[in-house]
Amino acid sequence: MGKEKITINWNGKDLEVEEGSNLLKAALDNGIKVAHYCYHLGLPVAGVCRMCMVEQEGVPRPFPSCNANVAPGIKVRNDSEKVKNMVEWALQLHLVNHPLDCPICDQAGECGLQEYYLNYGLYDSSMIDQKVHKPKVQDIGRNVMLDAERCILCSRCVRFTDHITQSFEMGIVNRGDHATIVAHDELHNDYAMNLVDICPVGALTSKDFRFKQRVWFLHEEITTCIGCETGCKVKISYNESGAYRVKPVFDSEVNGYWMCDDGRDIYKHLSRADRVFSPMKKSQGLFLPTDEKTVFETVKGKKAKFILSAGLFNEEYEQFFERFRANKEQVALYTLPNMGEDFDGILIRGNKNANLKGAEAYFLKAGHDPSVEQFNRLLSSLSDKDVVFVVVPEILYNQDHFETLVKKLSKAKYKIALTTNDSMMILQEFDFLLPLKAFAEKAGTIVNFNSQERHMNAGKIFVPEAKELAHYVEALL
Amino acid sequence: MSENLKANFEKYALLSYHHIPEVHKIDIYESAGGYVSMHKAFKMGPDKIKEEVKESGLRGRGGAGFPCGTKWGFFSKDRKQKKYLLCNADESEPGTFKDRYLVEKNPHILIEGMIISAFALGVDKAYIYIRGEFYQQAKILENAIEEAYAKKYLGKNILGSDFDLDITVHRGAGAYICGEETGMISSLEGKKGQPKLKPPFPAIKGYRGLPTMVNNVETLSAVPWIVNFGGKSYRQWGTEKSPGTKLFSISGDVFRPGVIEVPLGISLKEIIDNHCHGVSGSRILKAVIPGGSSAPILTAEEAMEVTMDYEAIAAKGSMLGSGAIIVLNSTRNIGEILKWTLEFYHHESCGQCTPCREGTGWLDSILKRKLFHKSKLDDVDLMDQVASNMRGTTICALSDAAAMPTQGIIKKFRKELETYISTQGNN
Repeated sequence: MGKEKITINWNGKDLEVEEGSNLLKAALDNGIKVAHYCYHLGLPVAGVCRMCMVEQEGVPRPFPSCNANVAPGIKVRNDSEKVKNMVEWALQLHLVNHPLDCPICDQAGECGLQEYYLNYGLYDSSMIDQKVHKPKVQDIGRNVMLDAERCILCSRCVRFTDHITQSFEMGIVNRGDHATIVAHDELHNDYAMNLVDICPVGALTSKDFRFKQRVWFLHEEITTCIGCETGCKVKISYNESGAYRVKPVFDSEVNGYWMCDDGRDIYKHLSRADRVFSPMKKSQGLFLPTDEKTVFETVKGKKAKFILSAGLFNEEYEQFFERFRANKEQVALYTLPNMGEDFDGILIRGNKNANLKGAEAYFLKAGHDPSVEQFNRLLSSLSDKDVVFVVVPEILYNQDHFETLVKKLSKAKYKIALTTNDSMMILQEFDFLLPLKAFAEKAGTIVNFNSQERHMNAGKIFVPEAKELAHYVEALL
Repeated sequence: MSENLKANFEKYALLSYHHIPEVHKIDIYESAGGYVSMHKAFKMGPDKIKEEVKESGLRGRGGAGFPCGTKWGFFSKDRKQKKYLLCNADESEPGTFKDRYLVEKNPHILIEGMIISAFALGVDKAYIYIRGEFYQQAKILENAIEEAYAKKYLGKNILGSDFDLDITVHRGAGAYICGEETGMISSLEGKKGQPKLKPPFPAIKGYRGLPTMVNNVETLSAVPWIVNFGGKSYRQWGTEKSPGTKLFSISGDVFRPGVIEVPLGISLKEIIDNHCHGVSGSRILKAVIPGGSSAPILTAEEAMEVTMDYEAIAAKGSMLGSGAIIVLNSTRNIGEILKWTLEFYHHESCGQCTPCREGTGWLDSILKRKLFHKSKLDDVDLMDQVASNMRGTTICALSDAAAMPTQGIIKKFRKELETYISTQGNN
């Protein structure tokens, strides 16, 4: 149940806001632009950047809106000359010791300092003095680099490691303009890349992304992460030359503002050279391009058996079962084994099958058996009269487990892998590879851990020849 | 017993015992008239004590001058709730040394004041947060507290009542900002000494998230006198709006620097000429900083007119602050004064809020541009602009404390500052 709505007045405009809500949040929720650095909707309030100042009727002095709550009928302004001047000066002071190395900074283009300078600054700098220097290019963990000089000491990263991951790696040492952001310890939490996202400037940058692309050359497609069954809402940044990064998108019901570090890797196979670009036939230990027709003519007359992965979309299962009306023994579901603990308390879940719930539901709906027993029965029933189609899971945390499966396929006459890429050595065991669309190239829905439908959007298509599963079923029949 | 060993309550509320040798010992303090107020207070009961303090018009002596009775009025009245009394003995403002003088000679007046205040406020745990450099004074206080425990003035069931009180002395680590009440609370909690966002104020949510009353040493030490003789008689001293006596610590170019206790509203001229025996060195007064380094400077003419009470100094655009009077004679270079002041605030900014963190450092750099042959006359305007935009923009008042003296000097000694800035060289 939502809280009661009250009305406040912001710059002369009435806003409907939730009672007791944070004043800055209320304004931001209503689409009002308020400059802020230290405030983050997912973190406790710090109130140190002094950018979100407002004036309220009846209150003698301007105050930061992030440290105030709404009350019925309050009249707040941030468009008075006084407040505008305060914001401009707060920005100017933020930039006093900032190195202004935008041309070589990865954050350029999505930097809070640049954005606010254009919106609230546009002054001529009077700063001609020696700047305070702090350590640059610090390697603080597996995936994050720190440049303390660019830091504006908003303390978002400190609050993130203190309150969200509770791993306490980040801190601010020293006082005054020598206050410096430090990592006391190598980042040892599974959410370290969020620090890069919440850093409003270029102090924390991603090792994976840095120096690869300028952000203004990137487009974004919002979709769902397929790293585990949590189903975080994410966006993938890509351009003509490839996909570059994954960032979380706010979703109040599933992931909030965050995502895990493992999920950041799901884009990597999308535009890699080892994508399967056309149907492949193994010839003397090498896969050589062939065409679909050759593949299906070769296997004609054999009994087709399918091992599906639990990472396909609901629509794909539905279409598959509509077309492939075989008896029960011919279809099984391969599920990835659990990794680590069931749930880490934040986002990561041990079940790495992104759409296990959806897969099971559609198997049962079509009268098929998604169980492991059926999977084992199918494996033991294989003979030289069979052709087995295996849908290779896109994200494989445990390759050994998959390799064991592949080795058990040896009795089949033909083995065909439906896969997005051929990076694994074990794929050498197959006779044919058929290119499959990657998760970011097709639209659909999956069902996450709490039975919520999560939407997948089709972004840029990197392999035009890649097809969906249903296409191959049709070709087979 | 000779009269000389009795407290002089007629003239002083705070330094009443300071003429008595070894008054830091509890027996001597008691025989001189100490702890009488405490006994009296326990008979009066909490509400009556609070009434008397309110009646006295005692104002916070830490610098802000907020009426103590009103502040106590904001405090939780639920006697069962856990709450704290925190005595601010982190006196670090350049020029201020009144609390040190008060406490090192007579620790019991503070302890007595704290017992009475804690009883009035319903607090059973009090801390004295003392500046780290005051090692000797911390020892003196600790010894005095031990003596008070031995007499059962502290501990369980004080004076046979159901009131308990423990006092702990906590030494700071030498940061100016820990004198700010929420910075002090952060430090006491074991965190980095950084002020906290207000609201909530400490009286509502302070140490460990519980209501905490923070009072200055001098404020708490005035309570025994007020309880003993009544709030009304406290008003025999001082002005209507600034009643009572105040400790002033006078330093700089005077013949007799030191700490004095005089009624508020006394003229600054009288303090300098009579109590301090006049301006030393060149004998010509140039300026006075009336309330510690963060108070805007007064010119000689202003200083000769002003009376030392909160309102009169505010009317001159400065503030009484902690009562630290720094007297400057005509040989002092105003640029140097500003340089030392800015270096201090640059060093002491906690680094939390951007305007203060960057502003204090930048002001310092601008003033030192001459060392790099970069100074221009416009720099004075720039400093004025930076300073004015540092005011009222941060969590605590340190930003203002750096900006106010800067703007004060620019306003009153602009020509001299311009000369200072445009004179290249080491000094």
